[in-house]
Amino acid sequence: MPDENHVTLMVLAAPVVAATLSLFIKNIRTLHGLNVMTMVILVVADLVLWATVVREESFTALGNVVFIDSLSIFILSIVVGVGFSCSIYLWSYFDDEAIQQLVQPHRLWTFFPLYHVFLFAMIVATLANSLGVQWVAVEATTLATVFLITFFKSRESLEAGWKYLILCSVGIALALFGTVLTYYSSIRVLGEENAALNLTSLLPVAAQMDGHVLKLAFIFILVGYGTKIGLVPMHTWLPEAYSEAPAPVTAMLAGVLETVAVYVVLRSKSIVDQAVSPGFTGNLLILIGLVSFGTAALFILIQRDYKRLFAYSSIEHMGLAMLGFGIGGPLGTFGGLWHLLNHALAKSLGFFAVGNIFRRYRTRQIHEVQGMAKVQPITAIAFLAGGLALVGMPPFSLFNSELLVITSLAQMTFQFDSFHLGRFLTITVSHEIRSLGIIMIIVLFAVALFGGFIYRLTGMVWGTPPAGVRQGEAWHIGQLPLALSVLALVWMGFSLPTQVEALLQRATDVVIGR
Amino acid sequence: MPTLPVNIGSYLVNLCSALLLLTCFAIVAQRRLMACVDLFALQSGFLAVTATLVAYLTGIHHIYLAAILTIAIKAIILPRILKKIVRQLNVQREVSMYVNIPTGLLICGGLVILAFFITQPIVHLGFLLTQDSLAIALAIVLIGFFIMVSRQKAVTQVIGFLVMENGLFLAATAAAYGMPLMVELGIFFDVLVAGLIVGIYTHQIQETFGSVDTSRMKALKE
Repeated sequence: MPDENHVTLMVLAAPVVAATLSLFIKNIRTLHGLNVMTMVILVVADLVLWATVVREESFTALGNVVFIDSLSIFILSIVVGVGFSCSIYLWSYFDDEAIQQLVQPHRLWTFFPLYHVFLFAMIVATLANSLGVQWVAVEATTLATVFLITFFKSRESLEAGWKYLILCSVGIALALFGTVLTYYSSIRVLGEENAALNLTSLLPVAAQMDGHVLKLAFIFILVGYGTKIGLVPMHTWLPEAYSEAPAPVTAMLAGVLETVAVYVVLRSKSIVDQAVSPGFTGNLLILIGLVSFGTAALFILIQRDYKRLFAYSSIEHMGLAMLGFGIGGPLGTFGGLWHLLNHALAKSLGFFAVGNIFRRYRTRQIHEVQGMAKVQPITAIAFLAGGLALVGMPPFSLFNSELLVITSLAQMTFQFDSFHLGRFLTITVSHEIRSLGIIMIIVLFAVALFGGFIYRLTGMVWGTPPAGVRQGEAWHIGQLPLALSVLALVWMGFSLPTQVEALLQRATDVVIGR
Repeated sequence: MPTLPVNIGSYLVNLCSALLLLTCFAIVAQRRLMACVDLFALQSGFLAVTATLVAYLTGIHHIYLAAILTIAIKAIILPRILKKIVRQLNVQREVSMYVNIPTGLLICGGLVILAFFITQPIVHLGFLLTQDSLAIALAIVLIGFFIMVSRQKAVTQVIGFLVMENGLFLAATAAAYGMPLMVELGIFFDVLVAGLIVGIYTHQIQETFGSVDTSRMKALKE
């Protein structure tokens, strides 16, 4: 077996090498080839690390800098999996744009280095042992993606990019304050040492840390990384950035970056939960999850732009996942994690399809896109599948994970405790709220969402195509990621593969600290 | 090794932290962009002095490194980049703001009280030397946040962000005698890159919109 140190090094080095090489390669084909090859290396390395985790539970590598357990491998698999399908999609996407002469070939020389740096930052955030390094990496993702979002350099995209840069930097700064507070309480216990922010040192002693400081830290961390996840009310950058960025970038932002940000919050949650009653983080997550879910469902009803429609759907699904983590326990957490995976697949599928539609119709207005079934039959099927999956229809696996989250909600008995913020601000939530009430509200919003989504989707797929749009679509390699995502969603909807289920189970144990 | 008694050291650290806070108020009250940049550089200078004091009094050497980096990046390089932007864009004054200056100052006063109020239950855990700095640090973070939301010029929004960063750095120094070295270096790197990106970005905004007034960005409304 290969040494895990070498494999870990390879995972970290591959994107860096690719980014450096991309700076010098001027041939577009070679750039795409390099990109796909890097992703293949990452996928293989991820599988090797997965096998190691199955054998050893968890391990540190590269001298304590990297800490890998089931949870990080689960997230890493999402990163490289979606990254792989995105790299294939990118090829056809930019070839097409180049043929239509909308993207000058030399612009790709700036695209790929940034893209690889973005990937690298996400991998570091997933594998880092230190909470501080995680923070640095998440901030680096913001910086790397700004110019990817503004890639088309239109007025709107510059505006969206600026909003993204400012809001996410502020959010992330608040998260750093939370991290400083965590460190503040951990050095009480561990002493002043460089390892006092490392997960490997924090997790065993978390129970002895000061609860009040950790509560305050978690609030800052949730607000901070919540901005990156796009939770309401810190979500205002998200619809704009998602609709202005090139489709493959949006697929990565929605499918992967959000997942990584959730991962960082989960790590903090598992530390804070040991020091204070799990009800504290749980209630915060439930509250913010419900607000996000509800707000997004309402905004979906009034969208006229199909990219924004999918962007709001991201907020909604992250809200649902947060709800799952907030309810906690084996069922809720399992549902939440599985939902992250399903959402990453379905949302990247959705944005790939959206990218195809935009390249043909050249409009983002829903009412101007009609008759996709005739114009782009293959994309139409993928688009419809993605849409149905995102509203939680069987046989797609989002149905299963949503059902798990809602079931866990039904089983939950509410034990709200009050928490103090300073001296006289005390927030208490009554014991009387029964889970059934919340389920009613969720189902109501879900129905509204279903209606809003399906009404618009069917309008786009059927009908007569507008004049002047070329009809017919040939099979090409860029459709492969769409097909694979649909296949994976349906497959998991019927039966979750045992290896994935085992990994999810162990990742759940990590989150709830068993 | 430290020769000063702890209480005098503690006074000095508090004095420096208070000066940091004072420069925050000065930035809030300042309309001229160049002066805002200068005030930010001054604030970073005070931050470096605070860090050096803490390093000297505690004998922890890696804080010296952080102080040197603060001087180099936040007091010299970033102000230069920002001044270059201001000169290139030929905007000298912030004419309209979302909140006028007296109201802004009052709000910031409120934010300071809020910061002391939030941190009150946890300061007793801190080191004697830097006990009060944590509240001041949170106040600076909040005021930086306020500057970001209350100003319209891209440059002042960035200064707001950098003020927040200064507050965070003070928090790390005060609460924990600095973060682990690797993390600290990473944070400096991120701040530097953020400064460079903003430099390129404001240029692109200027080219496209003919102004760095972010209130002109109105195309993306619900």
